[in-house]
Amino acid sequence: FFFLMIRRPPRSTQGVSSAASDVYKRQVSTQSTWDFQWCQRRSMGKESKSQFSLKKVKQYILVGRAKPVAGQKEEPKVYRMRVFAPNTVIAKSKFWTLMRKQKKIKHTGGELIAIHEVIENPSKSVKVYGIVLRYQSRTGYHNMYKEYRDTNICGAMSQMYMDMAGRHRAREETIHIVRTCVVPESKIKRAETKSFTNGNVKFPLLNRISRPPIKKFKAFARAKRPTLFLQQNNSDS
Amino acid sequence: MCIRDRVSTQSTWDINYIREFMGFKRFVQAGRVAYINYGVDHGKVCVIVEVINSTRVLVDGPTLGVPRQVISLRRLALTDHLLKVAKGIHTKSLEAEIKKADLVKKIGESSWAKKLAAQKRRAELNDFERFQVMMLKRQKAYLVNKDVAQAHSKGAKKAKKAAKPKEAKSSQQP
Repeated sequence: FFFLMIRRPPRSTQGVSSAASDVYKRQVSTQSTWDFQWCQRRSMGKESKSQFSLKKVKQYILVGRAKPVAGQKEEPKVYRMRVFAPNTVIAKSKFWTLMRKQKKIKHTGGELIAIHEVIENPSKSVKVYGIVLRYQSRTGYHNMYKEYRDTNICGAMSQMYMDMAGRHRAREETIHIVRTCVVPESKIKRAETKSFTNGNVKFPLLNRISRPPIKKFKAFARAKRPTLFLQQNNSDS
Repeated sequence: MCIRDRVSTQSTWDINYIREFMGFKRFVQAGRVAYINYGVDHGKVCVIVEVINSTRVLVDGPTLGVPRQVISLRRLALTDHLLKVAKGIHTKSLEAEIKKADLVKKIGESSWAKKLAAQKRRAELNDFERFQVMMLKRQKAYLVNKDVAQAHSKGAKKAKKAAKPKEAKSSQQP
């Protein structure tokens, strides 16, 4: 295994590259995320126990290539891909699907050099993530650009999958992510995202319900009648 | 000119319209102090640092025992207190702001906090203390009822007096 690692994987694929493998080339924000060293698994900062974020998917970097054939002059090119998947099994599957479709390298004829989970540091600031995707509807393929506010890319991705499922009945399998980026405030396209990015956003909370503070205290039957009306907006605390 | 005359010219979502017309006083906004109602950190106070979307916010509570985190608005109860901070404020700066505003003291003085403290104390009572509470309640009830009875009897007397001249008047008329 180790003699394969002598050659450092290139920063980007050469020649014609597909949209999928091009993901990291055309990112709006210039990050050093594609530095091989950065891709190493990093220790996660201490996240609070009650970290409330949808984490349907994780971010993986997969590096693979075709198996070297005896008598071949050149060493097979190494390809790197960023995949959003719930686990490594699906991540690998997605990797080989695209390798097969775009590079004509099958899983049987190729080898996975490395798979790393990209763990972002815990939430410190809210960002706007722009996601370009391609999904298959019942009648054809469509491209979409969607924006989500979140503290990390995986959260934004999860939001996207939920959103697509709800709005377009598009399941995870039919969605291909073309490109993701962190969108600076000036370049935000969607009105809803813009309105929440505004520093002066304000709204009251409506339809408050009273519920026990811990799931354990949730009772099927109670001696008292339920409180339907929480006086939370007008009265003083 | 009343508010209704102004309604047509103003945007329905103008915050002043909402405040005056709808009567809301507490808003989800950067700097709003909120109680966490549910989850691991329930009972603690935090400050809304940034609004993510209509369902989630980024909160932080440096000296209040709440780590910086994303939390659902369903888990929050807004208070009257509002810190004047810019959205996305860092933990250290927020800590300074909390100190400056003396938030811990202000929260402690609020009737909400006092009620919570009373509830907590009540839950911690031992059997003897519960007996004491019962005796004190009984004494209080006795004193209250005594006053009520007196006032009632005074009122009854007054009513009688008021009724007599009326009776006299009505009896005088043919």
